[in-house]
Amino acid sequence: MKHRLLLKNFALCMTFTLISIVFTGQSAPAQVNIVTSVPDYAAIAKEIGGDRVEVTSLAKGYQDPHFVDAKPIFITRLNRADMLIYNGLSLEIGWLPILITGARNSEISSPSAIGHYNASVSVKNVLDVPTAPIDRSMGDIHPGGNPHFMLDPRNGIAVARSIAARLIRIDPENAAFYEENFKSFVSALKLKINTWETELAPFKGTEVVTYHMLWTYFLDWAGLKNAGTIEPKPGIPPSPSHTAELIRAMKRDNVRLIIAANYYPRKTASIIARKTGAEFLSLPAMVGGRDGIDTYIELFDAIVGEITSTLNNTYNGVN
Amino acid sequence: MRCRRIFFTLIITLFISPAITQQAFGDEYNDVKQELKELRKMMETMQKKIDELEEKNRNLEMQAKEKDETILDGEETDLTVIETPATERQGFLQKALNTFNPEISVIGIFAAAWYSQDNPIVFAEVDPENTGVNLQELEIGFQGVIDPYFRLDTFLSFGVRGAELEEAYGTTLFSLPLNSQIRAGRMRAKFGRINQIHTHAQNFVTLPLPAAQFLGEHLNPTSIEANFLVPVPWYLELSALGGSPDVATPTFDRSENANNLGRLLYVFHLANFFEVSEALGVSLGGSFATGVNGTGPDERSNLYGIDLFAKYRPLENKPYQEVMLQSEFMYLDADTPEGNLENWGWYAQLVYRFAKRWNTGFRYGIIDTNTPVRKEDGLNVEPSGLFTLIRNGDGKEEEILGLFGRTYRISPMLTFNPSEFSRLRIEYDYLNQDFAQNQHAIFLQFQYSLGAHGAHPY
Repeated sequence: MKHRLLLKNFALCMTFTLISIVFTGQSAPAQVNIVTSVPDYAAIAKEIGGDRVEVTSLAKGYQDPHFVDAKPIFITRLNRADMLIYNGLSLEIGWLPILITGARNSEISSPSAIGHYNASVSVKNVLDVPTAPIDRSMGDIHPGGNPHFMLDPRNGIAVARSIAARLIRIDPENAAFYEENFKSFVSALKLKINTWETELAPFKGTEVVTYHMLWTYFLDWAGLKNAGTIEPKPGIPPSPSHTAELIRAMKRDNVRLIIAANYYPRKTASIIARKTGAEFLSLPAMVGGRDGIDTYIELFDAIVGEITSTLNNTYNGVN
Repeated sequence: MRCRRIFFTLIITLFISPAITQQAFGDEYNDVKQELKELRKMMETMQKKIDELEEKNRNLEMQAKEKDETILDGEETDLTVIETPATERQGFLQKALNTFNPEISVIGIFAAAWYSQDNPIVFAEVDPENTGVNLQELEIGFQGVIDPYFRLDTFLSFGVRGAELEEAYGTTLFSLPLNSQIRAGRMRAKFGRINQIHTHAQNFVTLPLPAAQFLGEHLNPTSIEANFLVPVPWYLELSALGGSPDVATPTFDRSENANNLGRLLYVFHLANFFEVSEALGVSLGGSFATGVNGTGPDERSNLYGIDLFAKYRPLENKPYQEVMLQSEFMYLDADTPEGNLENWGWYAQLVYRFAKRWNTGFRYGIIDTNTPVRKEDGLNVEPSGLFTLIRNGDGKEEEILGLFGRTYRISPMLTFNPSEFSRLRIEYDYLNQDFAQNQHAIFLQFQYSLGAHGAHPY
């Protein structure tokens, strides 16, 4: 009886092995299969790759990218990927590494592989890099620096370049196609950056309160100043004493705008807004963060548009 | 441009030549001449206009090109370089991060406990041992990539009964045929779900009854395991493990007696994951483990398991809320010289995370037997894990083979995670055994994690 059971299980094992062989025997599609951790990279890869690539983002645009469930189906997706694009700087540390290990795909697993693209490598100016020893009493500090660099559209250019360069290596047959798409994307983005900068110019130096240290790059580019965060420390939810202190400071310095990514809780921010008379904007922070935002340019159209129109109203109202 | 000039000359000639012939015959020579003059003049102005337009067009083109070139400067659009390494931003921390040290983590789990009886009935070694403050486990982890081919994950566990090498296994990182991945070393076997989850990642203070009863604290043989990712549209992984059962478990014997291939431990697992919707994920698995149980030279234990896990997390509306249902059923069929033992058990737990840092849950666990066997004098059975120490109604302890009767436990809990790296949990356990006194217990568990940021398996 025991032997029969062993045999049975062996037979089961073999059946699945055979199924595997049959399925692996299928010819792979001609498209380059790109999997990205967050949708910003998927949007840019789609601009460059067009119909020659198939792009999937693991996280959704309306989701906190720090806390994504490592669903086993993601392993299946990474297993079939030709290229992985992720943010880096520990943004995905809680969920991506185990998926990469489980993917058993050497095209994407080693950091030196052409199909393994850590986007933070392309960013020249990483902000909030700790210059003194850190520990976790300071909250969830990212030792490599602030990971939210895609909220500076200029970084989108460098990232697009790396994606294009890698795509050309992976799929040299379509090199000209990728290069052309890349150039038209960057031209469009650059023209847009000029427009956004003009729109933001009148508000240079305006103080803004944010929820998390998510907007550091955005504020740096937009010429706005961070007047404080609702989180007392990165990743630590608001506390009553910190909130009270923030309200005092906002009243003293006449801070009129609070911004937060729309996946963060809105309660505290709304209370602070009510008590200080400031406006609170719950903004999309990634492509797909709201219906209708499907490209990297649309993301900044929304963010810059909402901020400038709110600031216009606020300051015209005052004067 | 030259072409156009030729073209116009041609037209002019065509127009002019009939005019000249006419001149010979008509008297309107002067009129024609006049007309011709006018025509030529018109042509000239037209030509001029065309030239002007062409020039304008060229200028526009040039301008556009110049603009394009200022938009796309050389370095930015040079697609031959993949990326320029950003050396200037490497602070001292960056350098420290880039060294080859493994990721080190230390996790301490302690529990203040109160039991309603002085000699409490405890099922797993990691459960709080007694009324008082207990060390449940101190886990030290070293993890890292060895070379392009392997990574190593090592976990040492220190508890009240000494140290144990909980896990130390290498995992292949390279692509193998059939989408397979090999793990080799000592590891928590893929039997069901709870057996793969480290103590610090579990949702309750105590281990579920069937896991404690059938797997011991955990089933972690030194072994070789092959995992196949079957290429179907959902996630389907098939695992097969063979190894020495060199750790004490209630179901399988230690390796001293397992000295040939037939006496080794084999574990098979089939894991499925279905993404029912974006918010709802369901995993469903089946397990089978077989090995000798030590009650006699060739007596075997066969352990069957079914595991279910469902997680509902409505990302779009309430991103930090989730509901998790986890349930496992285990069935043990063990041969002994005194006859066949058939024991079974299951547990189900529901955990509701109602805020980013808070969750609460409820668990029901039961173990029972179809073959209650009491130990009698002269029992011809070698001592093995299948014996259970029980205390009967009079408070007298005795060892029995298999299970004595039905045991169930109800455990509600509340957890607060101040951050991702610390945890406070209170839990109440009500234990009911149909052959002994009921037992109540209250726990306050505190847990700290130091070092590398751990991964969160689904």
